[in-house]
Formats: sequence, structure tokens, C-alpha cells
Amino acid sequence: MTAVIATKEVCRYFGDDEETMVKAVDKVSIEIERGEFTAIVGPSGSGKTTLLHLLGGLDNPTSGSVELSGTNIAEMSGAVLSDFRRDHIGYIFQSYNLIPVFSAEENIEYIMLLQGVEAAERKRRVADMLQQVGLEGLGNRRPNKLSGGQQQRVAIARAMVSHPEIILADEPTANLDSKTGIALLDLMKELNEKHNMTFVFSTHDEKIMNRASRLIHIHDGEIELDERK
Amino acid sequence: MQTIKLAFRNLFRNTRRTVLTVMLIAFSLTALILVDGAMRGMLTLMVENVTGTITGEAQIHLVGYRENLDVDLYMDDSDEIEQILRQDSSLQSYSPRVISGGMISSSYNVSAGLLYGIDAELERGTSKVSDAVVRGEYLSGLDSELLIGRSMADLLEVDLGDRIVITLSEAGSGDLAQALFRITGVLNFGMRELDDNFVFVNIDAARAVLGMSEQQTHEFAIKFNNPLDAENPDTAIFQQFNKEEIEAMGWLDLNKEISLVIELMAYSSLIVGSILFLLASLGVINSMFMSIYERIYEFGVIKAIGTRPAAISRLILCEALLLAIISCLLGSLLGFALGSWTSTHGIAIGEIEFSGIAFNNNILTEFHVAQFTQFPFYVVLLTIVAAIYPARFAAKIVPSEALQRSL
Repeated sequence: MTAVIATKEVCRYFGDDEETMVKAVDKVSIEIERGEFTAIVGPSGSGKTTLLHLLGGLDNPTSGSVELSGTNIAEMSGAVLSDFRRDHIGYIFQSYNLIPVFSAEENIEYIMLLQGVEAAERKRRVADMLQQVGLEGLGNRRPNKLSGGQQQRVAIARAMVSHPEIILADEPTANLDSKTGIALLDLMKELNEKHNMTFVFSTHDEKIMNRASRLIHIHDGEIELDERK
Repeated sequence: MQTIKLAFRNLFRNTRRTVLTVMLIAFSLTALILVDGAMRGMLTLMVENVTGTITGEAQIHLVGYRENLDVDLYMDDSDEIEQILRQDSSLQSYSPRVISGGMISSSYNVSAGLLYGIDAELERGTSKVSDAVVRGEYLSGLDSELLIGRSMADLLEVDLGDRIVITLSEAGSGDLAQALFRITGVLNFGMRELDDNFVFVNIDAARAVLGMSEQQTHEFAIKFNNPLDAENPDTAIFQQFNKEEIEAMGWLDLNKEISLVIELMAYSSLIVGSILFLLASLGVINSMFMSIYERIYEFGVIKAIGTRPAAISRLILCEALLLAIISCLLGSLLGFALGSWTSTHGIAIGEIEFSGIAFNNNILTEFHVAQFTQFPFYVVLLTIVAAIYPARFAAKIVPSEALQRSL
């Protein structure tokens, strides 16, 4: 198995003063392999979201390295980092975060526009993704005309349509009812198995933990337990 | 294309704020169009008053005559000059004059004043003396006729038909001479300087009192077919007459203080425009920042999924550009509508005297192509410049911070 993500002694500290400094992530070294369905779990404030941001290049580590497919993204910045995120990482956020003035189709298409994918191919992939997430016929609706579950399905489609190597999901079921959450998790698990896509969740949702192939327990910024099922 | 689509839709996410910002920019442009139109109208009125009342658009005299209106500095070859002026097709009219300071007396009072000897017919086409007659008749050519300003008539306590005695020094000899005239008309120019001090008689009568021959003239006032010729030093008249002894001057050179006023008015427009644009710019910056702060989480998201910082800058600048274009369309339409009304009905200013010039008419605003090309261009440019700072701010948003901030 090859490691898609590898961190070495990665730290993220907030504040300069020794006394008030917060060690959100402290000397974390992990390797996540292709196709894993991993959940970073821990109580609120344990540093799981910060670690997820570091893995996705949304934040720069105080020290240490974060390698995605062998590239150290901790050393990247600006447009190079943006392009790397666009081509290698898909994100799913807790509160869906679709562009409100775009329809579901346009939200899914947006990332392909950034990638310069041709119009016909974009159209084909959007239709395919809508079908895969069960939103056929709803592509023209704007986010405010979709339910929470439907919006999160669009977010999943947006994250997957660019064929990223990994998908990072920050509490993706937190704002959904139990039934919708389970349905979406089953969908993500199915996509994981079908496309051998790597998923990393930050969560304290039991439903995700039950479905994850690996659980990384984090507490006060440090890894407490790393278990594979 | 996607950026324009996104920018356009973003603009109307908060319709109220966009409408208020558009109104701010549009009204600033409208105000600027009207202020510029009023300035241009005022300038036209001022030039008309200066050139049309008595001065003319240009004058010919002996060099040095204008310094103190010395009666001895007259031109000897009137016929020759008149022949040249008659043949010049660029001239609409001209008028010869003899001028002298003197004592103007009635049976009741006395006043210092300026006697203008004019050719009644030629003067009619060159100045507003005939139009200024408010009572009585204009000159018909009789030696005894005299036109007097209303306020001087009040001072001398005289009216139509009353006698006026003018005492002055003869040209050349300097001997005192007197002549009796009867008031045939009372004038009101609306300019204090003229109404208080000037009397007009027929040129032959004036020459007789001053001891001047028919060939001798102090001044020729000129009116061009194209008023702009008066401002062009290359105009034939100026080239032809600016010799050693004789000088021909346009109205701008004859009225140095008016040139300064015109320059001042240009600066006024610039200052008013700058203030309006500054206020509009602050409005744009404020609106843009409000819009960015409202969408900061969204910027975090689109940056997280791979939008480059430059693309976010472009989006904000595109929003500003669309805002400016919409504002300019509205502002220009409003400016045109209001300007059309004020260009026919005028802006009432009452009777005011500015720099010795009376304004007793409504100022009719004037359109100029720059108001609908340059001004909107400046508005667009300034709006984009004002949006650069918010755009840079949005581009520098750190996704992890933006995502945390609004959670």
C-alpha cells in the first residue's frame, strides 16, 4: 500500500507567548494509505479540525511536514498551493458551504472551470455526479431550494467531480438528521469502495466511527490511539 | 465569463446595499454633470456679458491707449482700418468709437463719467447699447442725442428730454470744451460700472466736442462670426493689426481678471468633482468590505477548493466594475434628464454681480461630450481603484481562518 498522506512531527501552535500558547496539533506523525476510510476522532477542542486543515493545506504548520502523494505542501503557498488543492483534494464542510448564487449544477461545475475542463466534459461529469448522489432533476435548484441533506449531497458531488486523490470531510453529518446522515455516509462509503478514493473525516459522530476502516483518536493535539479495524 | 456571472449574481445578493451604493455613485456622477453643465453655462453667460455688452470680442487701439484711455492716443486712419474690417469675412460686425472722460452735469448735480461716441448703426450689431434702452429711443444720428445710464440719471436727477452738459479736454490741445445734449434714452445694462458712469452720443458729435476729425478714432470694437476666433492669436485680424503702433486684442487679453475667473471656475469643477468622487469611493470601499465580511466563509470555501488568490481579486474587481457600469448608466441618464430640463429652464440665481459682471438671467446648463464620456470613465476607473484594497484583502484571506471565523 502507498501512503497518500504522510505527516512528520507536524505541529500547529497558536500564539507566541510561551504561557498562553495553544498547542492545537503537537508532533503528529501519521500515514494514510490510498483507499482508506479514516476518521480522526476526539472531543471538541482536541485539534481534529486543525489537523484536517493541515492535511488539506488550508493552514500552514508551525513545524514539521505534510506530504500529499510525496509532495510537501507545508512549503507551498499562493497560487501553487491553490492549484494543488484544486487538483488533489476534495473538501466537504460541516455546513455544506455551497455558493448560494449558483445552482447545484453550477456549484459542481465550478471546480472544473478552475481546472479548465472543456464544457462538454464538464456537462457530462456534472450529470454523472448528480446521478451518483441521487439528485437527478434537481441540478437547476439553488442551495436555498434544497434540503440540508440534498445540499450535502451537492457538496459531496463537488468534492468528487474533480477526481481528487483524497477527500477531507469536516463533521459532514453534524447538521443532518440521523437518517440523512446514514444515507450520506453509505453513499460516501460506496464511492470509497467503488473508486478506491481516500476519505479522511474529522468527527465525533458514532455513525462515521462505525463505518470507518481506521480511527485516529486525538486529544489535546496529540494522537492517543491509532486503530485499524 | 464565469467570473462575470458570479460577480453579477453576487451584486444582487444584497439588493438594498447594491441599490444604495449604485445611488451614491450615480448621484455623484449626476451632480458632477450638472455642476459642470452649470459652470459651462455660467461661463457662456459671463463671456456673453463681457463680449456682448460693450467690450466686443476684440478691440483695436493705439498701443498704450488702454492703460489710461488717453484721448490723445487716437488712430488717424479710420477709413483704411474700416476698409480692412469690412473686407474680412470672419467678422460679423465692427464699431468705431471715440472715448473720453469728462464732467457730466445736469441742472441739479454733477458727476464724473465716460463719454462714448458711437456709430449708431454699426454699434447696434456689435454691442448691447441699443438693447439696453429701457426708456426713450436709441440714437438716430442727431448731434444733440444722448443716452445715459439709469443710475447716473438718478444721481443727476434727470429724465428724458432733460439737458446734460458735458465738459472735457479736447484731444491734442487739451483745451476745455463743453457741449449740450438732450437725453433721448435711458439705459440699463445691469452692470453697475456701465450704468453709473457711461453716456453715449453719436460719434460725429463726440468728435466735434473733442476736436477730432472724421478719420480719428480711439477704438474699434469687433465681433466675429465664430466667437472662438477671438481666443485664437493666429486669427487674421490679430496678425494684421498687431503692428508697432496699433494693437488688436481678444477679449481674454482685454479682461485679464475674467481669464483668472475662468481658470478659477475650472479649478472649482475639479474640486467639486474630487470631493464627490472621494465620497463615492469611500462608499464603494465600505460597500465592498461589508460584502466581503458577509461572505468571508464563502471566500474561505472557494479558496479551499482551489480558487487562486488572483481569481478572488478579479471577482471583487469585476463586482466593482459592474457596480460602476450600472451606476454610470443611471447617473448619465439622470444627468441627461435633469440637464435637459435645466438647459431649457435654467437654474434661477437671481440678480448677482460677480467680478463686475451682472448675472440677471437663469443659468442655462450646457451639455458637453466629456460629461458622458470622460466623467463616467473616471467614475469606473475610480470605483475600480477604490475596490483594489478590498480585493487584495479578499485575496489574502487564509482559508482555515475564514472557515473558523463564521462557524
